[in-house]
Formats: sequence, structure tokens, C-alpha cells
Amino acid sequence: MSNGDNQTTGLSTRLDEMLAGARDSAKGSYVIRAVGVKKVYKMGDSETHALRGVTLDVRRGEYMSIMGPSGSGKSTFFNMIGGLDKPTAGKVYIDQVDIAQLDPYELAWLRCRKVGYIFQMFNLIQVMSCLENVMLPMSFAGKDSEEAREKALEILGLVGLAERALHKPAEMSGGQQQRVAIARALANTPDILLADEPTGNLDLKTGEEIIELFKHLRDTLGVTIITATHDLKMLKASDRIVWIEDGNLARVSTPEESGIHLEEVH
Amino acid sequence: MEQKIGKQIKLPFRRAMQISLRGIRIRFGRSLVTVSGVVLGIAFLMSNLTGQLIKQAIAKERAQRDTVNMMLALVRAEIGSVSGKKIAVAVCGALSDVDRLLLDQVVAAGPESVRGLGFEMKGVTSVPVESLGQEAALLLVLGNATRSELKLSALSAGMRQRVVLDSVEDRVYAGPADSSVRRDPFFGKESDEQIQKAQQQARAERFRTIWIVGISLLVTVLGVANALLMSVTERFREIGTMKCLGALSAFIRTLFLIESSLIGLAGSLVGVVVGALLPMIAYSFAFRFGLVFGSMPYGPLFIAAAGAVVVGTLLAVLAAIYPARFASRMVPASALRSTV
Repeated sequence: MSNGDNQTTGLSTRLDEMLAGARDSAKGSYVIRAVGVKKVYKMGDSETHALRGVTLDVRRGEYMSIMGPSGSGKSTFFNMIGGLDKPTAGKVYIDQVDIAQLDPYELAWLRCRKVGYIFQMFNLIQVMSCLENVMLPMSFAGKDSEEAREKALEILGLVGLAERALHKPAEMSGGQQQRVAIARALANTPDILLADEPTGNLDLKTGEEIIELFKHLRDTLGVTIITATHDLKMLKASDRIVWIEDGNLARVSTPEESGIHLEEVH
Repeated sequence: MEQKIGKQIKLPFRRAMQISLRGIRIRFGRSLVTVSGVVLGIAFLMSNLTGQLIKQAIAKERAQRDTVNMMLALVRAEIGSVSGKKIAVAVCGALSDVDRLLLDQVVAAGPESVRGLGFEMKGVTSVPVESLGQEAALLLVLGNATRSELKLSALSAGMRQRVVLDSVEDRVYAGPADSSVRRDPFFGKESDEQIQKAQQQARAERFRTIWIVGISLLVTVLGVANALLMSVTERFREIGTMKCLGALSAFIRTLFLIESSLIGLAGSLVGVVVGALLPMIAYSFAFRFGLVFGSMPYGPLFIAAAGAVVVGTLLAVLAAIYPARFASRMVPASALRSTV
């Protein structure tokens, strides 16, 4: 299997059926488009080619996993489509907007409202309660605190933690913390959830709960979920798996197609 | 179809203040260490300023006492002990500190009576000019007027012997006294050579003080900068996360500038109090408690304290410029790194 598009027509129709109605067709069916993305890191005289020209479209409402060994450029690609980094060459469009054209204020706006980030280490602000953590992106967006409080409680309810809103992150289990982090990522109703090894620090059972939560969010809110993961269960739950190897897009497949490889990974 | 991308708004200062304060409170131990660095630097600056003020005040007080003692010695040489004698005091113009001290000492020496003209004081009987000199052993003429409005003959009328102590050199009277006790114009004044030497010494000492205080303040700045850099490194993930959530670089910068200015303010306030009290107490042991606290010029002391607080706060903000820039330039992707 070499570079190329393995997007089968069967999968496309299935996805379209599944997500019909949850999407506004006027918004376009691709939420992220990467076109010939290259990234070169310069360290003194030596150059490292992290990405050598990756082209990929992410559909609205899709659950996509990015796979790849460490050093493959997976993280770089992940950062790029999340608006955290700019490509050296090529274009990344988030909601039809070329992120290379954005100034810092617009980038911050985009990160605040378009993308919700979920981290392996949860990255909750330890000095704040769960409620305040969820309210933080809303206050960055300029929401007044009463409104933000109400919305934050609502979202915490959605992830099943409404009654623990005033606890500090340190007082909660890993699974609970990750659910708070997911609630925080959802604070400004983003189009995209970007999750970096979201189950990497969780045990098997809580990991499964998080996966269920992701599927639930995709189905009910129509949010696009992109994860970088090695978790077999996560890969199985995703609509598409993108394999990055040596700075190139090696292949795109469905979990069923990659059955053999999943065993290898495990 | 191009979709609208808005510009991220700047958060109100109040919000940054809240987050900063919370950060300081949670990392209280760390903050205390940083604060104590500022305390030390500012206390050192303040103790030098206070020490100088005390030294000046004590020197002034001592010079006054020396002058008074010298005058009293001259009086004793002329009329013997003051106690049991009648003293007349005339005041022309405003009294100086030396005048007051002299008057106090004379009254305290236990004369039979003190008659006064032109002023009111406890233990002094105010009398008209005709009866001022009656039977008096000594006439004190005090005050800063260089030309007496009253004739010496009128003031000293009725004195058996005209012994006059005048606090102003070369005051012009209508007539000469029989025996006047005057300040020796050369008393307490050093020769030009001595003065030059003393000035040179003072200059050298001032330079040394400025040098040492400057170095100690520089060390303070570096200490605060180092502590804040540590704090930035420690909070890499937190800062990156905030950026991912939509925080502007300016907001991150503001967080650190607020934190360090609060540290600077708190440290300076404590440092000023410590730095003012320590030399005052130390000098009190060396001299007299009342002398130090009584002669202390509190106005200049307050100005020095206010200056030290401003300097401390500004230096802390100065120290934060680099760490704050360092933090604000951090790429949000570093929040994703799990191993920080």
C-alpha cells in the first residue's frame, strides 16, 4: 500500500448517511484540507524534513485517527491541522481559511472557537476548579462570567461531572480529569476536537469510556474528532485511520481494512 | 467560500490580575522565596539610606550640643555657677535650635529667677524692658535678628555688671557691653585642609556605598529574573494550554508582569520596614535610644521609603521583561508534549 487515496466510495456514502442532518451543507463537507504540506525544521546548518508534502481532507463530523511511529512527522502533522503550527510549504485550510494568512489575533480566535484541544496529560490548570477550567476558554472568548458559568455546568453535565464542578483536578481520577478536559475543549462549541493520545494515561476501562464519549459527541454534536493514538480500541472506533511514515502519508484506511496492522501495533 | 475569522479580544486587566493572584497564592512557597530576594535587596538599600539620615541627624544634634556646652562653659568662666543667680533673657527674632537648647539648659541649671522679654516660656517671668536687667547676673540675647531693636543699655539697665551672652556673632548694639561672652568664631570649624580631606573621604564613601547598593540591587534583579524563568519553565504546559484555549501572547506577558510587580511591591514594602528599623535599632544601642528616634528626620525618611518601594517594584518588573517575553513567545504546541 503506497501513497494515495484509499477513500472508498462505500465509506463515503456510509458516512454521509450517518451524519446527514447533523451537518450544515452550506458549510462545506470538508472541515480541514491539507494540500502538499511540508515542514522543515532548521537546527543550525542541518535541516530536518518532518513532513514531505502531505495532502489530506478531513470530512465534517468524521472520527479520524492518525497513526505513525515516533519521529514519523505524525505530531507535526497533527499540530499543523490543529492550527498550532504553520507549514513551511503547502496550505492548511481550516473551515476554508488558509491558516498561513492569519495574524496572531486571528489564530488565537481560531484556536479559541474552532478547535478544542485534548491532551494526553489532560493539561487542566491545577490551580483552578473544574468549573473554572471549563470557563477559561469562554472568558478568552469574551463571554461574561454568569453566562459562561451556566454553559460550563451544562457541558460538565454532558460529560457526567456536573456534581464535581467545584473540585480541583488533583482531587479527581484520571478518567474524570480527561472528561473535564473534554468538557473544556467543547466550551466554545468547536467544529473540531483534536485529541493527542487521549487515552494514553488511562487504564483500559476508563479509556473505553472516553472512546464511548467521543463517539457520543460525534453523533450528537456532529463534531469532527481527530486523534493521534496507538490505542487499538481507539483505532477500531474511528471512521478512518491515517498512517504517516517518514514525513509522508503512507495510507488511509478504515479499521476493517487495517485489521492485520492493528495486531502488529498492539 | 471564505468563512469569517474574527480577531481575538484582549481580556480585561482584572481577569489577568485574578489568574496571577491565584498563581502566586498556590505557589506561595516559591513566591515567598522570590519575595525574600527583593526584601533583602531593598532592605539593604533602605538601611543605607536610613543610616545616612541617622548619621546626619546625630552629627547635627552633636554639633548643637557642643556649641551650647561651649557657651555654658564661657558663662561659667564669667559668672560662676548659674544656680541661685538672676538671669535676664531677651529674644530678638526667631529662636534657633541652639538657642532653645541653651535656654533649656540655663533654666534647668536652677537660677534664682529667669526674667524674659519678647517670648513666653515655662519657668520664665515675662517682664517689661525697664525691669529686665534688674539685679541680673547675666543677660542672654537670643534670636536670629542681626540688629537689635532695643539698645543694650536699655536691656541691661540695673545690672551690676553687664555680662552679655549673645547667640549671634557681631550683633550690632547701640553701645558696648562691659563684658560680653561671645562665641569664638573659629570654634568647631576645621581648617581648609581638614575640610578638603573630610570631603574627599565623604566622596569616596558615597561612591563605595552607591557601588555596593547598586551591585546588591543587580543581584536582586537577577534573582527575580531567575526565579521567574524557573516559574516559566515549570509552567510550560500550563502556558501552552492557555494558548491552545485562545490566550493571546499579550495576555501571557501580562500575567507574568503582574506577578512580578506584585512580588516586587510586597518585597519592597517588607524590605523598607526592615531596612529602616534595623539601623535605627542598631544606632540606638550605639548612642541613646531617644537621641536616634528623637533626632530622626521622619519626612526625609518617608520620602526615602517611598523611593525604595518604587525602585523595588520597577526593578522586579524590569526583571520580568525577559521571562515574560520568553513565556509569551512559546508555541502552543509545546502543551502537547507529554514529557515536560
